[in-house]
Amino acid sequence: MRALLNYLKLAVAYTRLNLDAQLEYRGAFFSQVVAMFVNNIIWVWFWVLFFGRFKVLRGWDINDVVTLWCIAASGFGLAHTICGNALHLPVLIARGQLDVWMLYPRALLPHILLGRMSATAWGDAIFGYVVYLIFVKPDLPHFILFSALTVSIAFLFIGFSIFTGSLTFFLGNSESLAEQWRYAMITFSTYPATLFEGAVKILLYTLIPAVFVSYYPIIALRQMSMSNALIAVAGAAAVLAVAVFVFYYGLRRYESGNLMEMRG
Amino acid sequence: MTDSFAAPAKYWWIARTSAKSNLAYLAEIGSRVFFLGVILYIFLRLWQVTYGETGSQTLGGLTLPQMLWYLAVTESIILSGPRVAQSVDQDVRTGAISIHFIRPLSYPLYCLFNTLGERAVRFCVNMFVGALISIIFVGFVPINPLGFFCFLTVLPLAFIVDFLGNFLIGLAAFWLEDTNGLVLIYSRLTMILGGMLIPLELFPDSWQATLKLLPFSTIVYGPARLFVAPDWSFYQDVLLRQVIACFVFACAVALVFRIASRRVFANGG
Repeated sequence: MRALLNYLKLAVAYTRLNLDAQLEYRGAFFSQVVAMFVNNIIWVWFWVLFFGRFKVLRGWDINDVVTLWCIAASGFGLAHTICGNALHLPVLIARGQLDVWMLYPRALLPHILLGRMSATAWGDAIFGYVVYLIFVKPDLPHFILFSALTVSIAFLFIGFSIFTGSLTFFLGNSESLAEQWRYAMITFSTYPATLFEGAVKILLYTLIPAVFVSYYPIIALRQMSMSNALIAVAGAAAVLAVAVFVFYYGLRRYESGNLMEMRG
Repeated sequence: MTDSFAAPAKYWWIARTSAKSNLAYLAEIGSRVFFLGVILYIFLRLWQVTYGETGSQTLGGLTLPQMLWYLAVTESIILSGPRVAQSVDQDVRTGAISIHFIRPLSYPLYCLFNTLGERAVRFCVNMFVGALISIIFVGFVPINPLGFFCFLTVLPLAFIVDFLGNFLIGLAAFWLEDTNGLVLIYSRLTMILGGMLIPLELFPDSWQATLKLLPFSTIVYGPARLFVAPDWSFYQDVLLRQVIACFVFACAVALVFRIASRRVFANGG
């Protein structure tokens, strides 16, 4: 418990530090946040247009799809505002840049993950909460469950990024592969899971675990079903656990880049 | 006199060299078509379910096979776009643009032909994969020689219009701290307003006339629609709008580039 609190404090300190660093380039930071917010609004607008013409899609209506976009965006945003380095793992591993993180007394993986912040992730996170409150107009229990599920989805995305990034330990530079895989995960996470059947459905439970974003959380919110919420949380925990195992297993194969580096 | 004849040739060589250098990394381009496969599969399912639930044979004048081929073309166009704005942004920020001023080349034309060469290769690879997926899932759609000719003539102009839009955003680096946000918004507007996800006929009726007037539709919707449902009068209409868009954007690029060039300060070294 004490260790957990300690790492929470570290996360808060790093987030504050990373935000200060981002704010050094205020114009760039705010333009990226606004652009991501607008980007997501444009996608939601597409769905509004779509449902304006076709009212229901396999039992899903516009509220479900907007909820899906909000929960996926805020989960992704939360993950990478705090653990922005998750997206850079393949590069750090391939270039042998983990050395600098190994010198600290903190556990390696959480410390690396906290080391950077993604500016656009702020746009995702803000978009998710704001649009959910304005468009879906939830009551308090729905909003609390929504917020809890965004945390679960954040862990899922972090776990997924660690897993795909850690493949670099085994395959050499897998930056492109990790990127393509991540895009596939994000894309599948933003379409109703009920569209997919057969082998692809199996894929969505395993290699691209998007059902823990695009199905169980939405059903949990629609029916206020704790069992579906728990399945979503269990799915995220499983992905994270596998990812952490793969990372530390792969770390044995890590080779230093012998780079001289300083962290400011 | 000699120079004016030599100019088109040297830009042609730039395009050719760019295409050849991209052909050398065909495997790298090929690895990126995985995402195209994912997105086309998702759209196939989306539209299969939509056609099934509405019970319609055609939506927006297109059958399901035509819709998937339409999406294969629109996705191939969008995903083949090189990072023009980012590259211009880099040239401006690093000062590399000043090197281009001492070359016997126009910087915008150099970027245009370099982009066209790269995009031609990327588009062909994407289209090959898109066609393969479409054939597997929905089979062939009838394509007549006239339609194919129309498609092939509007496609390069679509690429030029898109290049000019991106180039203008890249030039904004002379004034803005960061242009990534603008690039993101421009690309999303091209996707949605250009009809990448749904043909313009499925937008609300009151919007369609305006959307068809915007340059985005000449980049995506026009070529894709001509590919799956060729029509001579529509072809003339798209061509005219592309020429107008090229002219307006080219004038804007010339003006902005002229103003921006005055802001370049270079020291020797």
